[in-house]
Amino acid sequence: MDLDANRSLIVAALAQISVGDRAALQTVYRLTSPKLFGVALRILGERSEAEDVLQEIYLTVWRKASAFDPTRASPITWLVAIARNRAIDRLRAAGRNRRMETIETATDVADPAPGADSALEEDEANAKLHVCLDALAERERTALRAAFFDGNTYEELAARMRVPLGTMKSTIRRAMIKLKACLEQ
Amino acid sequence: MSDTHDHSGPREDELVAAEYALGVLSGAERAAAERRLAREPAFARLISAWEERLAPLAAEIDEVSPPPEVWGRIATALPPPSETRPRLWSSLAFWRGFGFVSAFTAACLALVVYFGSFKGGEPLVAAIDGGGHHHFVATVDDKRSTIAVMPAAFSDDGNGRVPELWLIPSDGKPRPLGLLRADHTVTLALPAELSKLAARNSVLAVSLEPPGGSPTGRPTGPVIASGKLENL
Repeated sequence: MDLDANRSLIVAALAQISVGDRAALQTVYRLTSPKLFGVALRILGERSEAEDVLQEIYLTVWRKASAFDPTRASPITWLVAIARNRAIDRLRAAGRNRRMETIETATDVADPAPGADSALEEDEANAKLHVCLDALAERERTALRAAFFDGNTYEELAARMRVPLGTMKSTIRRAMIKLKACLEQ
Repeated sequence: MSDTHDHSGPREDELVAAEYALGVLSGAERAAAERRLAREPAFARLISAWEERLAPLAAEIDEVSPPPEVWGRIATALPPPSETRPRLWSSLAFWRGFGFVSAFTAACLALVVYFGSFKGGEPLVAAIDGGGHHHFVATVDDKRSTIAVMPAAFSDDGNGRVPELWLIPSDGKPRPLGLLRADHTVTLALPAELSKLAARNSVLAVSLEPPGGSPTGRPTGPVIASGKLENL
């Protein structure tokens, strides 16, 4: 599905949700639930939990649609952030993460899938982010990707990469500072 | 702890926003960031900026169709629809029955009746008129939280452009309110920062914009109609 092509449709539907239009929520669900379910499933690693969280995600969209500002954010970014946050909340409430395999190399974490969502892959912002990720040290890139795709905490990442917690915190923070500087060039 | 933890102020805020957006905070730290997100617009903007920076990574995640029953569960969990508005009110077919000119008159009368039931509030109304085929009627509710815009007459320009509504308060700077429809009433939420500006004598204007609305946050196409907000 080409989410970018549906962007204006999603923006219009979010505006309608904010005035209580249930059909508009169904429109957003129809257009975006495969992506958001994929995001929740990636973080939670278990279908029935991801289904529960998907329900929480769209109830959050229903409540917060009036706060969405299309002049400030892309609707897909806004929806993906809600999906990641609800999935991460579920992980934190459960107090455990299924994705705890030891990470030795970058290839242990979520390889970029060549077939995944090519419409977004070709996007300019995506290309720039990947250039900037490639400019990071390998450990920094690996830690960032594991955090994004697996929803790990600092403590979990430190265990997975076998480094002290303080080292993991400074690795991620240094990576974020470098990433921002690179993206702003 | 590392050197990066010795800082405070803007740099520390930036890093905590990044950590929250990435999702690495646990327990109390995550809860504290969430409380700040709800209360501090500047901190919320830092988080949004980080979400935007990281968003392209989500393109790598494959789509997975959820089982069909999930939508049913969501629909059941939604609050029951509120019947605050008569359905006739938003039906353009009803208004067409009167013809556009009498529809406009009827709309004003209907508004008097409709808002007459509010206690203490002062709704505002505007006839947004561009002459000929461009005519909308807008009402701002007594709490200044929504604006409803009814098309009394509108024909598109055949170029696929869509009508977008702007609020122009006394400072003369247009603020986008949302897209309008040619075939039915649209009710738009007024964000808190705009609700103060939706005052008597502020101007509402309609411009023609590309599908999805103006990409710049300012009108980019021709302004086809305008009108002042007035007390009812």
